[in-house]
Amino acid sequence: MSNFEGCPGSKMHDFKKKDDQENGLTIKVASQLKHWPIQLHLVSPAASYYQGADVLLSADCVAYALGSLHSDYLKGKSLAIACPKLDESQNAYVEKIKSLVDDAKINTLTVMIMQVPCCMGLLELAKKAAAEAKRKVPVKYLVVGIQGEILKDEWAIN
Amino acid sequence: MKEYLNKGIKEVVKQFPRIADILDEYQIGCGPCSVGTCLLKDIVNIHNLSPEDEQSLMAKIAEVIYPGPPVKIPEPARRQGSGSREIKYSPPMKKLVDEHVLIKKLVALIPKLIEYLDLESDQGRQLILDSIDFIRSYADKYHHAKEEDILFKYFDPNLDILKVMYEDHETGRAHVRAIVAGVEKRDKSVVIEHLNGYQELLSGHIKKEDEILYPWLDRELSTSQVGEMFSKFNEIDKQFGCTAKRYEEVIKKLEERFKIEPSLSSMTSWVKSH
Repeated sequence: MSNFEGCPGSKMHDFKKKDDQENGLTIKVASQLKHWPIQLHLVSPAASYYQGADVLLSADCVAYALGSLHSDYLKGKSLAIACPKLDESQNAYVEKIKSLVDDAKINTLTVMIMQVPCCMGLLELAKKAAAEAKRKVPVKYLVVGIQGEILKDEWAIN
Repeated sequence: MKEYLNKGIKEVVKQFPRIADILDEYQIGCGPCSVGTCLLKDIVNIHNLSPEDEQSLMAKIAEVIYPGPPVKIPEPARRQGSGSREIKYSPPMKKLVDEHVLIKKLVALIPKLIEYLDLESDQGRQLILDSIDFIRSYADKYHHAKEEDILFKYFDPNLDILKVMYEDHETGRAHVRAIVAGVEKRDKSVVIEHLNGYQELLSGHIKKEDEILYPWLDRELSTSQVGEMFSKFNEIDKQFGCTAKRYEEVIKKLEERFKIEPSLSSMTSWVKSH
């Protein structure tokens, strides 16, 4: 059976590691998540854990690709997750991020996306919201490869 | 090798002058530094060399210090983004770099200020004092309020690289005081000497900050610290109100006048109307 060659975000890859080389199953990693809910449609910018926070806005798939998400990127941050390809009503996302900037007065916004092209939509949405907000906050973005490598880690200058 | 990695660069270069040339090859211009107390190991870190360049630099330095059979050199560090020559600043650091642009414009005008220097007329003296006002109000108060009072406070004040920057700032202030004293005494040679001194100092100082210090500080700061610093910088901008805009206009007018009618008479008429 041939792989589907259309959308890069849907293209099949098999990168099963030999001998479970990362030994990830032998170590218990503590969760760094400190609040609920986390889905962008469900979160409220009025929640105490967003006030003045460093917010991580992550594409859904990032948590599965990046083994060290909790310790390296989520620790100390408040979270919101979204999928720019499949989620509906994304205009509400722009308003919600604007409210995080203006009302919750967040300190920074870090956007983590996958390397697949459709995921760039989440960064564009965040940049649009940050540009439209009355307050200005530093926006950082990281691009994660499908095998969990960090391909880019930069500040997005508005 | 470890012994020399923990020595100040000036001491190392004094003992092995050839190392200054080797550092130059890697665009590390520490040889002529006036302070030179940065440790050799810190210099390699601050300049963010790629692991390959770091290894070849250390091998060349080791050859000079220990001629003969090769000695063990430390493993190069794998720092995030190491080896990248493209500088990408965080938003607050970008703000400081943007402010440097205006300061560099004043520095670039210094040869013209010297060429048309007139300390005998009120207008001629005022022209120099207006430039000094820019240096004191914009460069020293507005810009350094962010740099010295906020950015540097995130770091150990005993860091050698920061000591170099503080020393440059103090030297700049001394030049400014000397220029003002020279204007008061109408002593052209003193004013020229210290305008030139200020120009030379600032050209090198801004280059060091833009290309070495800020990128290194950016790599050391956490995301949260960057956000906090950005917010504090915005507070400073609010406190200073229209300072930035006002001095942008001052430089713009000064540039236009020198470019369009570079004669003393036109300069003095501009000063009158300003």
